Amino acid sequence: MTSNMTAPSTEQITIAHDDQQKRTGMLERTSVRIALPLLVLLFFVLALQTLSVMGVLNPITFPSPLDVFAALGDLITKGYFWEATWITLQETLLGFAFGAGAGLVIGALTGTFKTFRVALYPFIVAFQNTPRVALAPVFLTWFGFGMESKVVMAAVICFFPVVINTVAGIAGVDENAKTLFRSLGATKTQAFFRLTLPSAAAIAFAGVKTALTLALLGAIVAEFVGASEGLGVLIKELNFQLEVAMGFAVVITLAIIGLVLYGLIELAEKKLITWVRD
Amino acid sequence: MTIAPGVTTTKGEAISLVSVGKTYQTATGALPALVDVNLDIRAGEFVALVGPSGCGKSTLLKIIAGLIPFETGMVSVGGEKPKEGRRDIGFMLQQSVLMPWLDVKENVALPFRIARDSGPHVGARVDQLLELVGLSHAASMRPWELSGGMQQRVALARALALDPGVMLMDEPFSALDEFKREHLNIEVAHMADTIGKTTILVTHSISEAVLMSDRVIALGVNPGRVVGDITIDLERPRSSDMVSGKRFQELSNEVRDALAIGMTGEAK
Repeated sequence: MTSNMTAPSTEQITIAHDDQQKRTGMLERTSVRIALPLLVLLFFVLALQTLSVMGVLNPITFPSPLDVFAALGDLITKGYFWEATWITLQETLLGFAFGAGAGLVIGALTGTFKTFRVALYPFIVAFQNTPRVALAPVFLTWFGFGMESKVVMAAVICFFPVVINTVAGIAGVDENAKTLFRSLGATKTQAFFRLTLPSAAAIAFAGVKTALTLALLGAIVAEFVGASEGLGVLIKELNFQLEVAMGFAVVITLAIIGLVLYGLIELAEKKLITWVRD
Repeated sequence: MTIAPGVTTTKGEAISLVSVGKTYQTATGALPALVDVNLDIRAGEFVALVGPSGCGKSTLLKIIAGLIPFETGMVSVGGEKPKEGRRDIGFMLQQSVLMPWLDVKENVALPFRIARDSGPHVGARVDQLLELVGLSHAASMRPWELSGGMQQRVALARALALDPGVMLMDEPFSALDEFKREHLNIEVAHMADTIGKTTILVTHSISEAVLMSDRVIALGVNPGRVVGDITIDLERPRSSDMVSGKRFQELSNEVRDALAIGMTGEAK
């Protein structure tokens, strides 16, 4: 078998390598990292707007991006919108605080003590693989239509990724480092605070980041199931009234809340866990 | 590496092992790791443990450090039984095992923190040790900013932090390239000459063992046991030029022959 391909010269390889490095370098620039996704967004908005103008999309069930932006502009002038946003935000943050806090404590106990691991881990794994949103009606029965049932749902949904990641982080502590601490005569408490905790922090924090976005999901799902206020309730009511553009505007609000929360938690991660390299 | 005044004050301690035996329990049954190991190491002596993988040299080092139990025999370090956390034993591992959340200075000070010693002398001591290992300029750097050789120097400074009488080194240079390895071999050998600690070095490398130590203990496999005890009579201070010398080659061959016996299962 013969081939027309010839092996590239060292010079060609060097030039190709330089080009690749330039591209990688450009992608590292903050301006490019902001502009590129914005361009993608702009492309989709323009595409949807074009399809709406051409009459391909039904304006009642699939409003144009311009209609959605107009609805959003209208919505932010309404007091009930900000009240609903504040309710959902409270449910999300309280659920996150309880769920992630409990996840870190139970994860630390499960990862550190074998008795806890043997006793609890099978249940944690079993629950992790169960669709936890199915519990929303149960929580509604137990805790009522108020904020409590939403906070509990948000807490339960964000508890598991934190537990699983904390246990994984503790299990991943370097054995050589453990040997070193033993050779230095470290007590279990010293080893936990000076080795286990900082070693596991990066992986545990990845779970915390996931948990924050899941907390918002939990709060909205719980509001769908049964509530009198909140952004989930607003989406449901607007859809019943066929105010689909307004409904989409609320979804955009949720996306913005999710992005802001994620940005804040990333910032906290960068401030707290300074030793993890990209 | 120059020795700053006051860096080390504690001199070496004698180590004695009498008929030491260690068996690991595995899924397939009992696996004897060490059988009837007898060793007398003088205070201030530099001893290298050499042998193939599975000969139990790291196990032996961990027994001396008090990190793992043994079933038979007797071990004494400075006249006392080994146990975890003895301040007079410094331990250095194959990896530098530096804490990435601490800077170089804080890594060297770690043994003091664990010993709950936060006195004003700690800072001065850490400065002295960093000077000893040639890393004063890197005191506030993070581990990931250091080369492999620099990381091992930090680990060495940390092992010396509490001024132990005994230094146990478990293949500390095996992750380094050949050039850095030889360079550090010579530096540590010079340092050992000056500070007079009892040092046990575990290594796979015959030339590293001969270049650095006063005595090479060759270990055989199946089970792990002493198959050779070779006195290294090369003059000190050691230098890399010695590696090509006739006496160095003779001693290396002597160690090699002992290890060959160890592989065939015939104990000395």
